[in-house]
Amino acid sequence: MPVVPDPPRTAAALLRRGIRRHRGPLLGCYALVTTWLLCEALVPVVIGVIIDRAVATGDAVELATWGGALVLLFAVLSYSYRWGAHLGVGALQLEMHQLRVEVSEHVLGPDGARTGLLPGETLSLATSDAETIGEFLWDVGYTLAGLVGVVLSAVVLFSIDVVLGVVVLVGVPLVLVVIQVVTPLIARHTTDQQAGIATATGFATDLVKGLRPLKGVGAEDVAITRYRRHSASARDASIRTARSVGYMHGLTATLSGLFLALVAWLAGTRALEGSITIGELVAIVGLTQFLAEPIAGLGQTSAQTAQSFASARRVVDFLHTPPLATHGSVVLDDPRPRLEVSSVTTGPLRDLGFAPQAGELVGIVVDDPISSDTLVRLLRGEVPVADRSGGHVMLGGHPVDDLTIDSLRTAVVVSQHHVDLFEGTLRSAIDPDAALDEAELDEVLSASAAGDVVALHPDGLQQPVTAGAATFSGGQRQRIALARALATRAPILVLQDPTSAVDAMTEQRIADGVRRLRHHTGSERTTVVITSSPAILAVADRVLMIGEGRLLASGTHHGLALRDDYRETVLR
Amino acid sequence: MTRHLLPIASRRDTSRLAAALLRTHRWPLLVAAAAFVVAGLAGLVAPWVLGDIVDTVTGDGPTSRVRDGAVLIALAAVVAGVATSLSVTFLAKAGEPALAELREQALDRALHLDSIRLEEAGAGDLLSRMGDDVRAVAQSLTRIIPLLIGSLVAVVFTAGGLFALDWRLGLAGLASAPFYALGLRWYLPRSGPYYRRERIAQGERAEVLVSGLQGASTLRALSREQAQIDRITHHSRHAMTITLDVFRLLTRFGARTNRSELIGLSLVLGTGFLLVRDDLTTVGAVTAAALYFHRLFNPIGALLMIFDDIQSAGASLARLAGVALLDPTPPPREASPVTSGAFELSGISHAYVAGRPVLSHVTLTVADGERVALVGATGAGKSTLGAIAAGLLEPTSGHVRIGGIDLATLDPSHVRAGIALVTQDVHVFSGTVRDNLDLARPGADDTDIRSALATVRALPWVEALPSGLDTVVGDHRHPLTPAQAQQLALARVLLHDPLVAVFDEATAEAGSSGARELEDAATAVTRGRTSLVVAHRLTQAQSADRIVVMHEGRIVEEGSHADLVGAGGRYADLWSAWSSPAADETLTAPRRDL
Repeated sequence: MPVVPDPPRTAAALLRRGIRRHRGPLLGCYALVTTWLLCEALVPVVIGVIIDRAVATGDAVELATWGGALVLLFAVLSYSYRWGAHLGVGALQLEMHQLRVEVSEHVLGPDGARTGLLPGETLSLATSDAETIGEFLWDVGYTLAGLVGVVLSAVVLFSIDVVLGVVVLVGVPLVLVVIQVVTPLIARHTTDQQAGIATATGFATDLVKGLRPLKGVGAEDVAITRYRRHSASARDASIRTARSVGYMHGLTATLSGLFLALVAWLAGTRALEGSITIGELVAIVGLTQFLAEPIAGLGQTSAQTAQSFASARRVVDFLHTPPLATHGSVVLDDPRPRLEVSSVTTGPLRDLGFAPQAGELVGIVVDDPISSDTLVRLLRGEVPVADRSGGHVMLGGHPVDDLTIDSLRTAVVVSQHHVDLFEGTLRSAIDPDAALDEAELDEVLSASAAGDVVALHPDGLQQPVTAGAATFSGGQRQRIALARALATRAPILVLQDPTSAVDAMTEQRIADGVRRLRHHTGSERTTVVITSSPAILAVADRVLMIGEGRLLASGTHHGLALRDDYRETVLR
Repeated sequence: MTRHLLPIASRRDTSRLAAALLRTHRWPLLVAAAAFVVAGLAGLVAPWVLGDIVDTVTGDGPTSRVRDGAVLIALAAVVAGVATSLSVTFLAKAGEPALAELREQALDRALHLDSIRLEEAGAGDLLSRMGDDVRAVAQSLTRIIPLLIGSLVAVVFTAGGLFALDWRLGLAGLASAPFYALGLRWYLPRSGPYYRRERIAQGERAEVLVSGLQGASTLRALSREQAQIDRITHHSRHAMTITLDVFRLLTRFGARTNRSELIGLSLVLGTGFLLVRDDLTTVGAVTAAALYFHRLFNPIGALLMIFDDIQSAGASLARLAGVALLDPTPPPREASPVTSGAFELSGISHAYVAGRPVLSHVTLTVADGERVALVGATGAGKSTLGAIAAGLLEPTSGHVRIGGIDLATLDPSHVRAGIALVTQDVHVFSGTVRDNLDLARPGADDTDIRSALATVRALPWVEALPSGLDTVVGDHRHPLTPAQAQQLALARVLLHDPLVAVFDEATAEAGSSGARELEDAATAVTRGRTSLVVAHRLTQAQSADRIVVMHEGRIVEEGSHADLVGAGGRYADLWSAWSSPAADETLTAPRRDL
């Protein structure tokens, strides 16, 4: 496992790390983007000079000289943006990618992470938050360039005329401040609008996802009526947003126009007085218009920075969530370790103890889903000592918490009731490491009754499995997952409800198959099946019955079948 | 395998639909159009006046002319402000209701698509139309369309302004147009495929991320987490590479735009130089022309950059219109003619692939109120028969009759009113528990809902939820177990109260410890109702009035549980394997009242 340095502790540190680890390209980017912005500012200045020195005078040499300057200016402008943006976007995309991987590694690490987030929320950390943080790298550059642009414009303006310089440099920010005052209102409306559209769209996609259950009870028209309500409120929110956006655009147009009128009057009067030239008049007007952009950019920076910090904080908090499993450093050298749970009390489980023997197939009947899940987490080493009062789980003579994660997982493989299948082929879903030869694979397929699934498709084991395996039925998914669990050939295999979605006949085949594959004469493998299937319980060497978190009885299926409570749960 | 069996509207049909939707909002649309024109005209004033000021300065005119010009700019600014504000507001007033109607109409058609067609098309396509496409069109309406119209107006009017100054200056400016067009012609054919690849790559990235996040626990159990991290890294890097390629293309296009700007500006200034030298125009006019052209940089850039967005918004609109233009399902005029739940399948044969029959000549008559369980191994044809019985699948041959009426002749809504279907597809609708239930009977009061919940054994846990019936459940909210979700589905059937209920392995997704509750619930729902239950557990079959055993597409045994166990056939073998010797006692023990 590679040594991973601790993630940054604060939002600012995370953002700083982003800039630090891409400092080379970013430095180039910031320099080039600044150059580009300055060139943009100089375009109206050069236009003014050409009009002043060439157009007004008819001097062809001046025209050629300053025309050449204009070409040069455009060349620098164009290339500096292009290469600056390449460097910057390259850096920010790489940062986003690195954050995405970091977030995935945190959840998917061998120890897991107790994040308390739903997959959708983690996805938004890995996508939209990572993007917002990445964009911070660009924002820093744009802010720097904007500041330099404002300063340079100020220098040019002051060199032309002090009074006009003061008017422009005070006036432009003033106009923008007024616009900033109304912006929060628009931001709020925009958020409302986005939320409205998101709600309506979410509602519609939810209905489409649940279309079969919906049509099953003929509820299409009711659903449409409800959607119309959401759609209408999204529409109203959009109109409200448009109105305030309209006000802002109108206000911007009015104020910048009024300001331009003031500058035109002052500059025109000065030009008439002869204190500035026509070219300078054009340059002043051009710079007035140019300045609005970087200053507006600077105004928006504060909001964007706040967003980047919020995203960075979320990611930092996430990266510091504690691991799901605690583990130690003891490496297990026993290839057939013994599992022993003794008097454990945790969650709904009370004073629970059992120790499957080598070669034994143990069935466990549990009366409620929470006890079942807790038992599974316990055997996965995911119930921290702090959450247990007394008792211990031992593997090969060591407490499981002392073992390395790999020792535990090599010895004990737990296959949960909830089936997750991953993209690939059926073969890679069952035997991802291609560890089995054809004969062994056939044995696994026949034991899990997954051979039927293979046979149904012309491509057999090569048939594609899509993410979520939506093309398979619940029973098929369950059999594929069972085959995958059996394919691990783990010394101790724990199966939770492996046949709940499988029909009775197939269930019988699976019961016989698992027995044949893992518990033939001389086999030392241990299998623990949490189930209420009589077919499986009937082939188990021993059945444990857990009720209200306690071990109520232990014996064979046939023996236990004399108990009323057992029949109640299993046979009915 | 992606299939696109849903139609995509042609350009003509899309425009016709858009026009029809907008027609009802004619007045706001006209106001918006007028406002765009006024704003465009007002935008011409400032450069014109500045040119005049330059002439005043060169010609040593009066100060009052400069002042008047400034006042004119100020007036134009106010007019432009008001017009801009009106244009944006009224465009939304016309466009947003039209868009809302479009998405409502599309969803209406989507939900009413007949089930057979929907199963063929797959939900994915419909999902992306009602989700991504609706979002794309909504965003384009608020962001892209105003920018598009505003920029177009600015470009057209400014070009007009150039000509008004001097036709030769106008021609000089216009001469840059081919260069812009060349840039666009270079860019568009290259960018389209790139953007498509980028979207696909980002979709794949999201998919591996989600499947990794959702399956984290399984991946760890199987020591496969590193493999998934590697896949995420690979897909993320791949998406990044494409994004950078797209961006590189965009900046190369940007360079071509810069080149066109330089050519245009040089032509205007050069022409101006010649004209002024020959006294054909004034320095002021050239100044105004240069300022006009400089002012065009932003709107032209915006137009070029949003070209892709417009194309993709247009594609989204066409996909949405494709659904919206499907034939509407008129509500049936009369009440359903079906009055009895007597149910008959006669001579049903079905083959998904010609020559490989899944069902052969199945005939089954179910009396009104009778409960029939279908039992058999995987591949026996139980689910296919269930789907045909529910009217979800049209059999290759044979008839389904309910209350003596052939399903094929019934209005689809009457089929649904008569036959409810619950499959193993578990879905919790986003909303409250109440929302999830009264879908099946709008206006159901608390008493109805509570009694339905009590019947399906769900009342205790629903009442234990933080806000009881008003607890918001579903994706990202209060999570429900699959068994709880199916209890809600069963409660919906009770509220819907159909004559016939078909359950296709409706209880299959529950874990073993939740299965018993769910089976009890399913049994309670079928009480006194004609029902066909595809059973994957024999306990479900045990309580049915009649059990039908299927094997390789045929009915091989029929009878009550006791009859079939006594007969010693296939079912009896199955039962003994299932129940073990000790279970015989449950047969002789008094039957619990379910």
